[in-house]
Amino acid sequence: MPAHWLSEIMRRSHDGPFMREHDFDMAVAKTARQLTKKYGIRFNPQTPVPWDDDLTDRVYQAGLELFLEVGVYNMDTSRVIRFSRDEVEEILRHEPGQVVLGEGKDAVVMKARKVEDTERPIVHSGPTGTPCSETMHPRILISCAQEPLIDCLGAGSVAMYHGQEIKPGTPLEIMGSRRDAIAARMAVTAAGRPGMHINDVAVSLTCAGKMAACNPQFGLRPSDGLLVSQMTELKTNFDQLSRVAFLLDYGIRIVDLMTPLIGGIGGGAEGTAIVSIATHLLGATCYCADYHMMSHTHLKWLNNTDRMGLWIMAEVGQALSRNTRIVTLNDIYTVSGPGTEELLYEAAAGAITGTVSGMNIQGCGCTGGSLTDHYTGLEARFAAEVSRAVVGMSRQQANELVLKILPLYEHTFEAPRRGLPFQEVYDPLTVQPKPTWIEPYQRAKEKLASLGIHFVT
Amino acid sequence: MLEKYREPLSNAIAEGEAEQAVELTRQALSEGVDPLDIIQGILVPALTQVGERFQAFEIFLPELMMAGDAAAAATTILEEAIAAKGAQRQHLGTIVLGTVAGDIHDIGKNIVSTLLRSHGFNVVDLGRDVPAIRFIEEAEKHHAAIIAMSALMTTTRPAQRDTINLLKELGKRDAFKVIVGGGCVNAEWAQAIGADGYAENAAEAVVLCKRLLQAN
Repeated sequence: MPAHWLSEIMRRSHDGPFMREHDFDMAVAKTARQLTKKYGIRFNPQTPVPWDDDLTDRVYQAGLELFLEVGVYNMDTSRVIRFSRDEVEEILRHEPGQVVLGEGKDAVVMKARKVEDTERPIVHSGPTGTPCSETMHPRILISCAQEPLIDCLGAGSVAMYHGQEIKPGTPLEIMGSRRDAIAARMAVTAAGRPGMHINDVAVSLTCAGKMAACNPQFGLRPSDGLLVSQMTELKTNFDQLSRVAFLLDYGIRIVDLMTPLIGGIGGGAEGTAIVSIATHLLGATCYCADYHMMSHTHLKWLNNTDRMGLWIMAEVGQALSRNTRIVTLNDIYTVSGPGTEELLYEAAAGAITGTVSGMNIQGCGCTGGSLTDHYTGLEARFAAEVSRAVVGMSRQQANELVLKILPLYEHTFEAPRRGLPFQEVYDPLTVQPKPTWIEPYQRAKEKLASLGIHFVT
Repeated sequence: MLEKYREPLSNAIAEGEAEQAVELTRQALSEGVDPLDIIQGILVPALTQVGERFQAFEIFLPELMMAGDAAAAATTILEEAIAAKGAQRQHLGTIVLGTVAGDIHDIGKNIVSTLLRSHGFNVVDLGRDVPAIRFIEEAEKHHAAIIAMSALMTTTRPAQRDTINLLKELGKRDAFKVIVGGGCVNAEWAQAIGADGYAENAAEAVVLCKRLLQAN
């Protein structure tokens, strides 16, 4: 997408209609509700993996209509950026439908997958939304990068720099961002995969921080990616748009991060699915995104592996796959943490749902990203193994499987099993999982095998 | 006379029908119903029930926001009526609330704000990206009892401690209770930075504020 389009976004950021933020929120909420009725969209908790193509196409049309109706809110100018249907359709027509991630022998092609695709999804892992300690962070990254089934690494977020708390907009943010980029580069190199795609450095909350992560030799290269975030729902600001300007110039992959809240402005499952379609369109139109990271989050539990979360994941994945060439991945967030079987069952449900619904996979945001160092490569391996096992499976079969898996973890939502931090379940020296983590992993595999998942050996 | 309006006004609030809520409120006032009775007897219980249903995930954020807007519209008229009588509305206490410096995430903070208002607190919402000194200046200006700070990100939560430290440095720590919350915040963090309390969600924030004010 040419940079002059970004100039047009800037013009609309200043010339678009003025609106108070609360009024914009209410407009999104009311329009999503109206469109839910207009298109007859109904969430059914018994079909977390739906297979009704007509319903799916209506979800897409409703999301497109929401985007055209309400537009995008620029929080810095309190003005609404609007797009015509022709503009949106023109941009979508030019979506390449795939993106090369990484370089050399480690490069992979991440595609806009088909529903029930027989080709496996690309799998990302890394503690993007999970805080890490300075000491464990490099080991956690290696634990992910060394997994053969993981294709791309998220560099994660460390809140400290040499013992000092990092604050956004300070030199420590710049230093922390560079350090984490170097740690990620070292992790993929240590894993023998120096060209592996690194999908973000999450410590930085400002454009300057993101820019600091870029260094062709030691940090992020054009073959890597950096996130440009949306604020819930359908909002942006100049800091995010400034990232786009820089990232376009650097040539790095632009990753559109969205976090639609389940139970938030969109309302229930139906409205949140509609909003999630619209947020993808924001990423395509305003951020020139190469791919999209869908991190929809339950307002109460911070996960997306409940029935509503899975249904939204499935509907949005299928809707985008059937109607666009947008490349997207579902970012699996769980309530449970490392060392627990429940985490693995949540990861499995997310991986199955995403895989048959035309998405690529990222995981897992353990404990909803709330606990430090609660992230390991093993749960990502598990998600990837489950994903491979169900490639090509029909959505009906996937739904039956997920319905069997859900009772294995749903009861933990109100009292989550948070598990243990990395150093308790992995040997930090060898970066190998300890028996305390391997044993539940094996039990979970056996359990899922007994439910009908045939793991690829 | 209050009973006549209890059900229709409660329903109007719960359904987020602001115009209907305003109309019913005007009618009630014209029939001589005490505005304070309307607030305490109808608005606060109706919004409390909406908050409980939201907490139970029976309804979602739009319903909560619309109910809050409807109640706010009715409250504006009632406060005018109270002022016209030369009286003053009694609040449970004033809370200065905001998302800390560097953090622009405010959905959670907005929910807390709505629920606190619904329970009868006077909430001064400073919005997001609020510097430490502004929390303190606004708390002094509004004679607040509590400063409440939200932070979503690990890298922004230290700003909660900055405010507490600045209060200490200015010799004003004992003037206010300070409570914290947000995605990356937990009870251990609250204790470590010397906050007076932590709430995991909006409903807990209401309970916490009531407890802190009772202890005062």
